[in-house]
Amino acid sequence: MKRVAIAAISLLAVATVAQAELVGKPIPIGIGVAQTSNVALLGEEEVNGAKIAEKYFNDNGGINGTPFKLIFQDTGGDEAGAINSFQNLMNRDKVVGIVGPTLSQQAFSADPIANRAKVPVIGPSNTAKGIPQIGEYVGRVSAPVAVVAPNAVKQALKEHPNIKKVAVLYAQNDAFNTSESGTFQETVKKMGLQIATIQKFQTTDTDFTTQVTAVLGANVDLAIVSGLSADGGNLVKQLRQLGYKGPIIGGNGLNTVNIFPVCGQYCDGILIAQAYSPSADPKNAINNALVKAYRDKYKKDPPQFTAQTFTAVQVFVEALKKVEAATKKKITQMELAKVREELNKQIRVGTYITPLGKISLDHEGEIHQENFYVAKIKMNPDNKTGKYIYVK
Amino acid sequence: MEEFLQNSGFLIVTMVQQSLLAMSLYYPLMAGQLSLASPGFYALGGYTAAIIGTHEFFTPLRESIGWLAFPLEWLVAGVLSAILALIVGIPALRLRGIYLALATIAFVEILRVLCLNLTITGGAIGIFDVPQLFESRWSYIWIFGPLLVMMLFFSYRLEKSRTGRAFQAIREDELAADSMGINPTRYKVLAFVIGAVLAGIVGAMSAPFLNTWNARQGTFDASIAYLAYVLIGGSRSIWGPLLGGAMLSALPEVLRPLKDSRLIINGLVLVFASIYMPKGIAGVISRLKRSLTWKSRKNGGEA
Amino acid sequence: MGTAQFIQNFLNGISIGSVYAIFALGYTLVFSILGIINFAHGAVFTLGAYFTYTLTVGQFGINGLLAGLTIDNHLPFYLAIIIGSTLAGLVGVLLERLAFKPLRSRGGDQLLALVSSLGVALVLVNAIQYLVGAEIYTFPAEVYGTMKPAIMFKVGEQPVVIRTVQVIIFAVCMFVLAILGFLISRTRIGKALQAVAENQATASLLGINVDRIILFTFFLSGFLGGMAGTLVGTSFGIAGPYFGVTYGLKGLAVIVLGGLGSIPGAVLGGMVIGLAEAFVPADYSAYKEAVAFAFLFIILLLRPQGLLGRPMIQKV
Repeated sequence: MKRVAIAAISLLAVATVAQAELVGKPIPIGIGVAQTSNVALLGEEEVNGAKIAEKYFNDNGGINGTPFKLIFQDTGGDEAGAINSFQNLMNRDKVVGIVGPTLSQQAFSADPIANRAKVPVIGPSNTAKGIPQIGEYVGRVSAPVAVVAPNAVKQALKEHPNIKKVAVLYAQNDAFNTSESGTFQETVKKMGLQIATIQKFQTTDTDFTTQVTAVLGANVDLAIVSGLSADGGNLVKQLRQLGYKGPIIGGNGLNTVNIFPVCGQYCDGILIAQAYSPSADPKNAINNALVKAYRDKYKKDPPQFTAQTFTAVQVFVEALKKVEAATKKKITQMELAKVREELNKQIRVGTYITPLGKISLDHEGEIHQENFYVAKIKMNPDNKTGKYIYVK
Repeated sequence: MEEFLQNSGFLIVTMVQQSLLAMSLYYPLMAGQLSLASPGFYALGGYTAAIIGTHEFFTPLRESIGWLAFPLEWLVAGVLSAILALIVGIPALRLRGIYLALATIAFVEILRVLCLNLTITGGAIGIFDVPQLFESRWSYIWIFGPLLVMMLFFSYRLEKSRTGRAFQAIREDELAADSMGINPTRYKVLAFVIGAVLAGIVGAMSAPFLNTWNARQGTFDASIAYLAYVLIGGSRSIWGPLLGGAMLSALPEVLRPLKDSRLIINGLVLVFASIYMPKGIAGVISRLKRSLTWKSRKNGGEA
Repeated sequence: MGTAQFIQNFLNGISIGSVYAIFALGYTLVFSILGIINFAHGAVFTLGAYFTYTLTVGQFGINGLLAGLTIDNHLPFYLAIIIGSTLAGLVGVLLERLAFKPLRSRGGDQLLALVSSLGVALVLVNAIQYLVGAEIYTFPAEVYGTMKPAIMFKVGEQPVVIRTVQVIIFAVCMFVLAILGFLISRTRIGKALQAVAENQATASLLGINVDRIILFTFFLSGFLGGMAGTLVGTSFGIAGPYFGVTYGLKGLAVIVLGGLGSIPGAVLGGMVIGLAEAFVPADYSAYKEAVAFAFLFIILLLRPQGLLGRPMIQKV
């Protein structure tokens, strides 16, 4: 019995090695983001963006007439889950490239594996320092925090020239918010302002009275909050409810319409540093298409992670077209390994007009994004919905 | 075969790794102590390896000893875990049952918050770009595998030894053991330290395996997961945690085709397993074995 | 620290503490009867908030099976919270029947109840996500009627502020605690509950239907958990299916501090931890999360039976 099994396995091995693999049809592109666990709040936004992109680009002819399909493999919220998701996408689903994972910590774990297997990865929401440096097959469309944050501080100073003392608050258990807050603090110091207090919280906290009272006690003229939608939104709400009257800057984690119901009327007037704005550029056709599709389906504006994931899929689609142009062959007639290699080269060539505006990926895979925005939240009278009014 | 290993190699090594972590709970349990401290030592071990592997302070050391840095990391992780286990264990092991479990959960949580705040542990982002021992994930079986075999052998010898019998006696009845001249505190701390050293070494091996290390590695969730490994596997022999760790850690991956509902099913499996396998997987297997031998005897010889 | 600052911290502390207390009561009630920790309690807390939300708002978001669903019949909030908590209580009953009772009647390792309740928690949390997604759901701002968002008064020159919703939550918690206290110490069923907690065998010899009391305890525990979930939900919003996890973990610290199985202990434990967190100096706010567990560790070493617990009972 044992011998038969061994023979069968080795036969199988021979059979798989014998033929070089071609790319499947429709062309498979992998999406490995957090669909379960407590990171799913962010992952869901990414899944929605990917699904809209799949429909939009296939309706527009796919890859020069060949349709592509997205394959979703849940990463969960942890590192091992991200590796498992990536392994499935690369080896079982035979994708040409992967969009994911959701968290930077997961990227540090799973991206090196895709890199060694020579499978191109585009991070839709990994903003930590060092992500593109993981390897030549790793890139991202999520701008690192350092470039997004300072604009908002400048804008606040423009509106309120008398600002002197600043309170900085951030979610210390979250990688993105910790490093964003670092950038905010540097900017504040560079502009000659004084950091009166630094308050830390957890993304899982539900009560911020301690932090808010400390901010009130420090008598500051500006509060800068780096958090995610639930904690950040509530912190803003509690700041206002307890009587903080000065301007508030929200970090990039608050750039989602999901905070509107959380802080309600108190969201009004927050300045937000944005890497994506649904409304800043009315002439951006592809963004208009995304916003329309999202509104038709969900009755609101797309959040940043949705737009970034859409963009990541778009980069793959356009780069696949460029691969066909460069090799003069159809993707589906090429070997998978070859496509992955060519695709990774093409991703880093030229520019893309995306919902994020004009972007390109440099040789390291780092995004170069032309426009960042500062917006001010304007709430509607129902206090549940609102808009980002583009200010800069 | 190669393709199979490429795809499932990581999962298989993860199963071994989780089995080892489940075993780290088993040693204190041999002496009747319900300790859930392993994720703390696992985290400590991982940080030790990640720091030795990446921190510039250790660059000259790494350059001079090359690959020997890896066994050194395991050694240091083991020693540090032992020291911390003594510091925590001596006071904490006066507690029993659920009280000890809760104290060890508190230890894990305090350590987690500490690691989130220190500079050397990399804060929330943690430490990344951890140097690799092997190219492919599957190859990590060459360190986790031998460790597992060693621990099995060690457990076998331990159970037969004087120390093992002392553990056993304390587990059955601490007072009686004490009156027989066995020093319960000494043996309980010893069992705790053995578990801690194992968890620490597994952590040190895991930092390269996972490429990165951060404060999310040693949490309350992990404590509970390891407890489930031991209880679902069976807490009366070393095979229990081994099977429990391997099977429960593979479960969400095996259920992957179910997509959105996979974790719901995973939860149901836990409920049914605890109801229908009160002695764990190991218990079911030994019962099967017994009934099989009984049947074959009845049939008069080999089937 | 000035007087005003002290009063401010104190108010913050007891308002957080009252929620910890009411959450932890559900934990400790089950422990007092069965001697085990119900790991699904955090999930029941979460579920209670979703129940109340469904009854009083009934509008679902963009993810999950129920995406886009709107229920037009809205109950007034005070009714919804009672029905929502009752439903959470019924989930508690179901939990006992599916995950705890079969274990008891099969005489398996008591510790296995930890695993089966963990399994139930996994089912509940992921079922919630399956149905309504991981989005944030919020109660309307005027759920307690239209009021000023905060109350401010002065101590000397210094202002002290507290959010109105915190005051309401504190009042509701105190009210519930009072009723619970009455129920347990003055009513037949409460006395029966105490008797079962003391000794099941004796209680059953006295003619008490132990099985029914256990069911009642699970109902009560679920009810309190669901109510705590709703209350936090009204102040914070329901931040996804994992919303209750932090409370589940911190609740452990609370009940041990107060004394496992002790009802007044859970209340005291909640208050002590709430206050301790509130008094963490601003510069060390990063370590706030560890305070509850540092307390837990220290109290276990000094006085394992907790502040109000009786000397160790050997339950697992």
